[in-house]
Amino acid sequence: MAPTQLALLVLLLPLASAAIIALFLRRQGALASYLSVGVCAGLAVAAFMLVFSNQRFTAAIDWMQLGGLTISLGFKFDDLAALMLVIVAIVGLAVHVFSLGYMHDDGSRGRYFGGLSIFMFSMLGIVFADNLFMMFIFWELVGFSSWLLINHYMEKQSAADASKKAFIVNRVGDFGFLLGIIWCYAALGTVNLGEIAMKVQGGSVIATAVPLLLFCGAVGKSAQMPLHVWLPDAMEGPTPVSALIHAATMVAAGIYMLCRLEPLFAAAPAALDVVMWVGVITAIYAALCAITQSDIKKVLAYSTLSQLGYMVAAFGLGRLSETQEVDGGKVKVLLLAGAGAAMFHLMTHAFFKGLLFLGSGSVIHGCHHEQNILKMGGLAKRMKFTFATFTIGVLAIIGTPLLSGFYSKDSILLLAFEKNRLVFGLLAFTAVLTSFYMLRLWKLVFLGKSRSEESHHAHESGFSMLLPLILLAVLAIVSGWPEVFDREIFRGVFTELLDGRYHEHGHHVVLITSLSVVLVGALSAYFFYRSEEKDTLAVKVPGLFGALALLKASPDEIYNYYVAKVQDRFALVINFLDQIVLSRVIIRGTAGFVGLLSLGARALYVGSLHAYVYWFLAGAALVWGFAAGIF
Amino acid sequence: MNIGLNEYLILSALLFAVGFLGVLVRKNTLVIYMCLELMLVASTIALVAFSRFNGTLDGNVFVFFILTVAAAEVAVGLAIIVALFRKRGTVQVEELNALKN
Repeated sequence: MAPTQLALLVLLLPLASAAIIALFLRRQGALASYLSVGVCAGLAVAAFMLVFSNQRFTAAIDWMQLGGLTISLGFKFDDLAALMLVIVAIVGLAVHVFSLGYMHDDGSRGRYFGGLSIFMFSMLGIVFADNLFMMFIFWELVGFSSWLLINHYMEKQSAADASKKAFIVNRVGDFGFLLGIIWCYAALGTVNLGEIAMKVQGGSVIATAVPLLLFCGAVGKSAQMPLHVWLPDAMEGPTPVSALIHAATMVAAGIYMLCRLEPLFAAAPAALDVVMWVGVITAIYAALCAITQSDIKKVLAYSTLSQLGYMVAAFGLGRLSETQEVDGGKVKVLLLAGAGAAMFHLMTHAFFKGLLFLGSGSVIHGCHHEQNILKMGGLAKRMKFTFATFTIGVLAIIGTPLLSGFYSKDSILLLAFEKNRLVFGLLAFTAVLTSFYMLRLWKLVFLGKSRSEESHHAHESGFSMLLPLILLAVLAIVSGWPEVFDREIFRGVFTELLDGRYHEHGHHVVLITSLSVVLVGALSAYFFYRSEEKDTLAVKVPGLFGALALLKASPDEIYNYYVAKVQDRFALVINFLDQIVLSRVIIRGTAGFVGLLSLGARALYVGSLHAYVYWFLAGAALVWGFAAGIF
Repeated sequence: MNIGLNEYLILSALLFAVGFLGVLVRKNTLVIYMCLELMLVASTIALVAFSRFNGTLDGNVFVFFILTVAAAEVAVGLAIIVALFRKRGTVQVEELNALKN
């Protein structure tokens, strides 16, 4: 099969599945789930054939011709897209299989699996898209499917609110994204990713606002400050959805989009700085918030925010020029180190965070939908497989040596060390916090005694839920290894990656830092927290806990204040203008005036022949007078 | 007394005025109709007079056409009035206001 056909197959399989489920299988949950999982397995196989046959191509058809603007639909399948495709396919398949067990007793499984399929279609559309307009279409489609799946338990008010919040907050970012696309078209005359790169590298000057507006889209979708507020709330959705959409793939789409537009950002260093600082602030802020959370999914949600901040910061660090020895001579080369490190961390994060979320799903399922970690405890004995895989996930995310997170985090820290020492320090501090809150979570959930009926009667999950955990656990260990993960396949992403091979001088400092931060964070959390029903930090240092909780709540408070006090009042004024001025005065007024005229005109219509003759006479006199020049 | 163009035109104008006043003041449809015909004939007198004093036949030709069309019109108009009378039992215009409302 030609690679283009294979790519079309990968893209359209989940759409077909979603259509069949929506049209015929809404009441047949079991059939719908098998169809969706089968299709996902099929697309994963096709995606692997596509990626590992080592074919890279671009193909496009014209879709719409609007004056000078041609909107095309097409595939840009390079190494970057191939890497993303592999991530989406693997995590997608794991989540589909996990959902078989997790959603087994759900009454509306048809809707759930239909939603998963439409999400896979939309996400793959972003992966393949060769121009910004096509990307924007699928960008909105993932927003829609995210809304659909957060809203799965729609009889719960909080779930309905969370889905609305996610959608509306994303609209804010997407508005900037759309403006950026339009401006990009106005400035460069093209929205095709390849042509943008060529024009920018050809020396076209680009306004800083263009990459910044495009970055707005990533701020919304990847939940960066200040639009991060939707992601913790989105945890109202089913846990596998949180794993797939709100940890591994959709929220990473923002980073992926940035990497697709790397040349554009590289041409505007000021924009790149903004991107970097947004990422750094988000990373630290979210890590601080995660410490106070007692809901297992919320801890992971803030952790996701923090890791996404890491990736954005890595991207913002940008390119690095350095001298390499090639064939005996010294050559100065420019490495796309920022994008490479961001994508590397995106990959390892997708695996270990997918694993952690699915592990938390297994815990929640086992504990009869208890989500409060302060009420868990002692699950290590009752859920052995979940415990083992979750532990691997925790070790990977905090950056234990030889696990995937260590390598990707290391490449980011190394780049930060080379480019900006302040950012390096802040990111290292974030790493301390990361290992602190992850160890807290791990200890409270799995160690000690069980602190509630639910966790006391916890049971291990079924085979269909353990299999994805094991798959992702293996990947969370090995996906960082250069030997195991064949970097030749994804040459375009990883040859630019900064690792210890080229940087002997910086590497020892970075290595020692990253090892010590893991130890400091992990050990302090391990010895500090006790297996009690109250948060140890809240008991011992209530001031600090309160400050952190305030930090967590304040953006929501600010938005609430803004919406209630500013936006609603503005809406009141607009409403007044609409209701009174526009609707009453202008529209009703005009109608009333015409009505008044017609009242007079109606009086002339008396039905008597003589009256008409007199009017005729008057008319004739008027015409005569006009002809005679009297008027 | 020498009869010239002016006298003919004055006669025509007077006849026209009589016809027009009749249309204005009379209530019976049949009479109004006759007054209309009177106005038509008054205008033909003017046409014939112009034709005579200009020495051309244009006006006369016009008159032939007007008479022909007027004859056809009378046939239709009288038929309508007869039908109206059969239907409503009256031809007084103030009672024929069914088109209003």
